[in-house]
Amino acid sequence: MSSRRRMLLKVIILGDSGVGKTSLMNQYVNRKFSNQYKATIGADFLTKEVQFEDRLFTLQIWDTAGQERFQSLGVAFYRGADCCVLAYDVNVMKSFDNLNNWREEFLIQAAPSDPENFPFVVLGNKIDVDGGNSRVVSEKKAKAWCASKGNIPYFETSAKEGFNVEAAFECIAKNALKNEPEEEIYLPDTIDVAGGGRQQRSSGCEC
Amino acid sequence: MTESASYPPIDPTTFDLILVGTGLPESVIAAAASAAGKTVLHLDPNSFYGSHFSSLPLDELTSFLTSHSTTSTSSSHPHLPPSTAIDGEDYISVDLETRPVYSDLDISSHSSEPLEHSRKFNLDPAGPRVLFCADSAIDLMLKSGTSQYIEFKGVDASLVCDSDGKLSTVPDSRAAIFKDRTLGLTEKNQLMRFFKLVQEHLASDGDERGDNARISEEDLQSPFVEFLKKMRLPPKIKSIILYAIAMADYDQDDVEVCKDVLKTKDGIDRLALYQSSVSRFSNAPGALIYPMYGQGELPQGFCRRAAVKGCLYVLRMPVTALLMEKSSGHYKGVRLASGQDLFSRQLVLDPSFVVSLPLASSSPDFLQEISLDFRLKSAQGKVARGICIARSSLKPDVSNLLVVYPPRSLYPEQATSIRVLQIGSNLAVCPSGMFVLYLSALCDDADQGKKLLHAAMNALFTPDVSGNPENSSSVQCENTEEVKSTLLWSALYMQELNMASFESISFTPMPDGNLNYNGVLDATMKLFKKMYPDEEYFPETTSPENSEDDEGISLES
Repeated sequence: MSSRRRMLLKVIILGDSGVGKTSLMNQYVNRKFSNQYKATIGADFLTKEVQFEDRLFTLQIWDTAGQERFQSLGVAFYRGADCCVLAYDVNVMKSFDNLNNWREEFLIQAAPSDPENFPFVVLGNKIDVDGGNSRVVSEKKAKAWCASKGNIPYFETSAKEGFNVEAAFECIAKNALKNEPEEEIYLPDTIDVAGGGRQQRSSGCEC
Repeated sequence: MTESASYPPIDPTTFDLILVGTGLPESVIAAAASAAGKTVLHLDPNSFYGSHFSSLPLDELTSFLTSHSTTSTSSSHPHLPPSTAIDGEDYISVDLETRPVYSDLDISSHSSEPLEHSRKFNLDPAGPRVLFCADSAIDLMLKSGTSQYIEFKGVDASLVCDSDGKLSTVPDSRAAIFKDRTLGLTEKNQLMRFFKLVQEHLASDGDERGDNARISEEDLQSPFVEFLKKMRLPPKIKSIILYAIAMADYDQDDVEVCKDVLKTKDGIDRLALYQSSVSRFSNAPGALIYPMYGQGELPQGFCRRAAVKGCLYVLRMPVTALLMEKSSGHYKGVRLASGQDLFSRQLVLDPSFVVSLPLASSSPDFLQEISLDFRLKSAQGKVARGICIARSSLKPDVSNLLVVYPPRSLYPEQATSIRVLQIGSNLAVCPSGMFVLYLSALCDDADQGKKLLHAAMNALFTPDVSGNPENSSSVQCENTEEVKSTLLWSALYMQELNMASFESISFTPMPDGNLNYNGVLDATMKLFKKMYPDEEYFPETTSPENSEDDEGISLES
């Protein structure tokens, strides 16, 4: 297996518009939160170095770049993902109901070799809103869904307050690392037209 | 397409630019316009990105080619006369329909195996297509930030068929010339001398003094084939340079009937492109590279760049009509299949669309004028394309390779080069144990096109494909190391060629007959500059991540 490939872990975050995908990424990577919601413009992917058992890995977290608004993410977005994060807003029932669609869309588009064991992580975001009073999806309900889909790890988060975000992404990274990609297509190494830029590049967010 | 009904209304409703179709030219324009700060809406009736530049699973490729072919009723209102409707006070709506851009589609399946793995294929309707490592397309991807989404692997070998029907490796470097056992010592010296002269010419380019190293202006304007003769290069070498390096399409030896005589100047440029491609990336085995998962990754990369810059994407959304201002006949907007009307200053359509206008007698005067404007400018000739799925590689030890059959190499009347690109599973375009071969050749009509494709297929595949037991799937050819493979599945078709056009409604070009993207991307850049004469085409520092990226430039060795 290519060493370069194993150094880089691709994580994608799926979920309805407005559930806080970009905010979750930003909180984890930059420890920043903006109250001003704008449908995502300018977010591409963020990278963060993570360490496991004395080895450094680059976690590359891909935003939907707004292409999820009309379910128009292309197959290229899904490809080669090592972990898929499904995010919803605990205050919006529809965003929870749609998790199933996002999961299925991922399995169709990414077509992982072992769909039963592909690592997903579910995040219930915005638990801070209105002190939890506007919440419509219970933790029990969310956990039951996760259990029914092969025990998907579940985290309740607040991107705004930074609550549980670090722990959630630690789990995401660990699961991404466990995912064994199909070996054959990684040999020989791909040609790096940007002279190694792909690995080191970290992308800014304009919003 | 019923899914379109479930979308919420698109908001906002007014844009600077609306594009329909996500082929490479539309996607590049969407990315460039978004980078220039325009508000852009990018629509596609399909559920996938890429239109005629996509990479598709086997079953989807079949339905895509079928739905855009002459034999099918692809238009949404096949038998109704085109209609216009007066809408409210200000606008008149004119039906937007699709027209066939492929014809003579011929699909043969000799094994059920490929279809059983349909989704493991990523097949290019516009193949064969590769990038030269030194192509401007690579610079465009770096400049626009698209390169970070796409990975490439090299085409391992480049072969050319000689007059005896034998395939030999294209010697593309000094080392390769020395190693080549098929070249005699005299030939090697001639080739070395020629390459040296070309290098000296290129090195002295811009040097005003006309010293000995330079090739004279008279020679530069003469046919390349004459210059090669003057350099006393033997026929075999001439053929390699003309057809496997400079990628000439038409028979250059017959200058009277040749439709596109390559001038020495252009021939030298193409040699230079080839030479600088060979040395550009340290781990590329040759001059050519191909994207992982197929060429459909390119439009998707540009679309993602556009999205990152704020472009709004809606797939599975057909446009049913265009809205024209009643008083002037000017384009104003589009009507979606969902019934929503959206407005924009400019509109770009992919070349399979046609604005269908009512009969002159029943239409307002201005419609007769725009009917002239909105007609797509078509180019002469067609390109014959073939996609073949085979059991084994043409060369046992190599997975990805290019084969060129120069004019007259397969049969005396062969008027154009046939190019074959074989791509294997290590580029994630097919299941392991299979190979995809793309064929193309320019032609005047379908008969000629099919004959060209069949000639190459006869040379590539074993004739008997029915009832072969699996274990005898390949047959060793006499006196060559190439292996004739078993053909499992094939699709042959003629594709129309057209030029990009700029009017109040612009059309993008179809994939051209070339091996690389330069022609298509040149036309795209020109279209963008006509649409936005004051805007820069991908400004250097368009985003923060680009400014951090100072490694992207230090590529060339």
